[in-house]
Amino acid sequence: MKRKLDTSNNSHTALVLGIDTGGTYTDGMLMEYHSRRVLATHKSITTKRDLSIGIESVIEGIHIENPAAIEMVSISTTLATNAIAEGKGKRVALLLIGYDPDLISSFKMESSFATPHYYYFAGGHDLYGREKQPLDLQAILAQVNTIKHAVDAIAVSSYFSPLNPEHENRLYKVLAGVCDLPVVLGHQLSTKLGSVERATTAALNASLLAVLQDFVIAVRRAMEGRRIDAPLMVVRGDGTLMSDEFATQTPVETIHSGPAASAIGGRFLSRLDDALVVDIGGTTTDFALIQDGQVAVSEEGATVDGYKTAVKAANLFSIALGGDSQISIDHEGRLTIGPERVVPLAYLAHQYPQVRDRLKTLSKRSRSHATPDRLEYWFVLREPRDYSLLETNREKALIDLLSVGPRPVPEILKTLDLLHVAQIGAENLLRREIIGKAGLTPTDLMHIEERYVSWDAEAASLAFDIFCRFQFKEQTELRRQVWSRITEAIVHAIITFLSGKTLPLSASPADNNIGRWFFYNSLYAIHPQLETRFRLRQPIIGIGAPAGIILKDVAAKLHTDLILPEHHQVANAVGAVAGSVMVSEEILVYPRMSAEGLEAIGYYVQTSDGRLTFEAIDDALDHARTLSNERALGAALRSGADNPQVVIEEQSDGLDTYRVQARAMGNPRLGGKE
Amino acid sequence: MIMKWVQVDTQRAYEQIREKIITLQLVPGAMINEQQLAEAIDMGASPVREALKLLAHDDLVSITSRHGLYVADINIPDLEQLSEMRLSLESLCARLAAQRADADDVAVLDALRQEQAAVSPEDSRRLLDLDHKFHQALVAAAKNKYMARTLEHFFGLSKRLWYMALPYLDFLPRAVAEHIDLVTAIKKKDAAGAEQIMHGHVKGFYDSVRKVLETQV
Repeated sequence: MKRKLDTSNNSHTALVLGIDTGGTYTDGMLMEYHSRRVLATHKSITTKRDLSIGIESVIEGIHIENPAAIEMVSISTTLATNAIAEGKGKRVALLLIGYDPDLISSFKMESSFATPHYYYFAGGHDLYGREKQPLDLQAILAQVNTIKHAVDAIAVSSYFSPLNPEHENRLYKVLAGVCDLPVVLGHQLSTKLGSVERATTAALNASLLAVLQDFVIAVRRAMEGRRIDAPLMVVRGDGTLMSDEFATQTPVETIHSGPAASAIGGRFLSRLDDALVVDIGGTTTDFALIQDGQVAVSEEGATVDGYKTAVKAANLFSIALGGDSQISIDHEGRLTIGPERVVPLAYLAHQYPQVRDRLKTLSKRSRSHATPDRLEYWFVLREPRDYSLLETNREKALIDLLSVGPRPVPEILKTLDLLHVAQIGAENLLRREIIGKAGLTPTDLMHIEERYVSWDAEAASLAFDIFCRFQFKEQTELRRQVWSRITEAIVHAIITFLSGKTLPLSASPADNNIGRWFFYNSLYAIHPQLETRFRLRQPIIGIGAPAGIILKDVAAKLHTDLILPEHHQVANAVGAVAGSVMVSEEILVYPRMSAEGLEAIGYYVQTSDGRLTFEAIDDALDHARTLSNERALGAALRSGADNPQVVIEEQSDGLDTYRVQARAMGNPRLGGKE
Repeated sequence: MIMKWVQVDTQRAYEQIREKIITLQLVPGAMINEQQLAEAIDMGASPVREALKLLAHDDLVSITSRHGLYVADINIPDLEQLSEMRLSLESLCARLAAQRADADDVAVLDALRQEQAAVSPEDSRRLLDLDHKFHQALVAAAKNKYMARTLEHFFGLSKRLWYMALPYLDFLPRAVAEHIDLVTAIKKKDAAGAEQIMHGHVKGFYDSVRKVLETQV
């Protein structure tokens, strides 16, 4: 899947390579930075168990005339999100200092810490940064001694540590003295006061440290393999960039970086400042909003796999519907698309030509022999390195059977002498990506309609033929139904995302619910007198290979324009290089109370590593501005920003407490030279 | 080694090669083949090259313009020079630690001492690691960043000596006993006592290593 677009060189080019690792595909894109010209693109299949494999194959496969001329590589990755969702993060001990176990359990918050190894200790501070209780070092050291060989990292979160990180900082020194585990401190990741989110963020960050390190090392190695000597950047969840060094220290900030990069790329290619970005991938469709030229950021922290964090991320919405969603008919004869992602049959037949021959034979058989589960193929994705990893004899038998080539489910059942697919017990193998599933997908329909042809269109055609024959469906009609169901799901998602309201569509449209009636009437003009419609004020920017096919109808139903910028198929990879390098430094200013705690006798300026005292609030705020400005600027330069500009914002948190935030932003410094 | 802004792949290569040198998997005096080394630790060539430069800084690798890269050799004159430095610096370190240690420092020293007492004498690797941490904790308690940097350099070199002497020596139990005395002296803020115990402790170590080295050479 290589495409050579334009490789003409002029003398002042600055080449940058953007890579996006999605759940299904890894996209790469080579761009001349100043002219925004896309020179080459490349698409590889993502290997979820090791994302660096897809990245290596993009770096190896993309057409680059002179790799040494590349001045930046930037990556957006679902690595953090995947690792958390699949429990692949490292084991973390979370030390909670000054937290109230009874309060946590009364809100049933124990499961929100993202690690089962959490421990409560005395210590922490109060709302005015005063020590609530002395830090119980003896108890902590005793606990750490018993668990340090059973975990890979330690996270510490102390009560009100953004106001006074003294206990966290002291613990850091002490822990570094007694063990070699990496230690993550809550106040370094968030200055927000929410104690549970801060603890969760620290625990997740600790669990991802080694994961992101391995990833960065693999990418740098692949770069070296192609003689690319350039700075490496990683996209954050809000679409901004950070150097690989920063990323390995704060991996938790990469949560949602993939969808954020898509949105940034859509904006960059379309040059629109206000629009809705819809990215149709293989597994999911993702939505984000561009406002005033920026990706809209969620006020609340990002949520990942149900864990609420204090990490800033783009305001995103996602549904489990994409080009490779499985099309099937359920027991009650209803058409369903997704949520499961399967390999399109057109692709499977492209990889294994025998699949097309099998489908051909099948299409000539009578209906009673051609059931739709004949279309569900299973195949070996990778040979298990070690047969002892296979837990049951049936798993071994299945692997032996599939190692010859893909087989449809009825054949598997027959050979293994089973009656039902559930008896195979292959969930484990599927989950671990040792075997994969292929089936009929929207991608196959696009092949049939010759709207997207990369693989075996004939196989797709045969498969759809068999599917329709079994279902007594007319082909054109069923195709129409599939597309309109997809349109409906995406329109519904857009309305849900923008309105923040919910409307379950499962019930019949003919019921009494006026919301549902409005929805269906707006889409299908059912009512003879009443006309209703949704109108989206902003245009839709379509991203992803199937966007042109799927979103045309969506835009029509929402009475807006669909913009498909050139190279929208790789906008996600474009977005990986289009963001600004950003570093933010926050300083808290809060009152210093008198000994009795009745009146403020001055103000503290609290940074992550020290605290200064001022009498007047104005002096305190002035100092906080100067300090945050200096620190943000220095960190942005270190992180690879070119001529960063600083914006300072102040926010009152109530109770005479102020948050001074300096955000230093600049374009990435190409070539890495200051 | 302070390496906050070193590339993450260089850092990893550095740690892995350093471990190989200290544990004598890379033999003192042996020639280093960069490419083979990169393959052995599954890393790219350029992080390995950068790491070797850092290790040359640590005096664990020697670079000669004519013959290339070697694992730094261990010899008697070198040992004498190293022991002179550690004897005087660590004695001073123990004195300062007794004067300056705060409650957190004492808690760390206590925790390490207790852990050390609980480890089986056969588990020499873990004992060595704990001994190393104990000395580092004393440096932290002395609160002098220049001393910390200098001693960290010497600790790296000494650790390798210890690995070399390990099969021939049984000084570990004695070392553990001396650590207990040191903690007691520091708790009592007995600067002179701490200095004296440390002097004996380091001297005992080098005397033992010297014997091993002399019989081997």
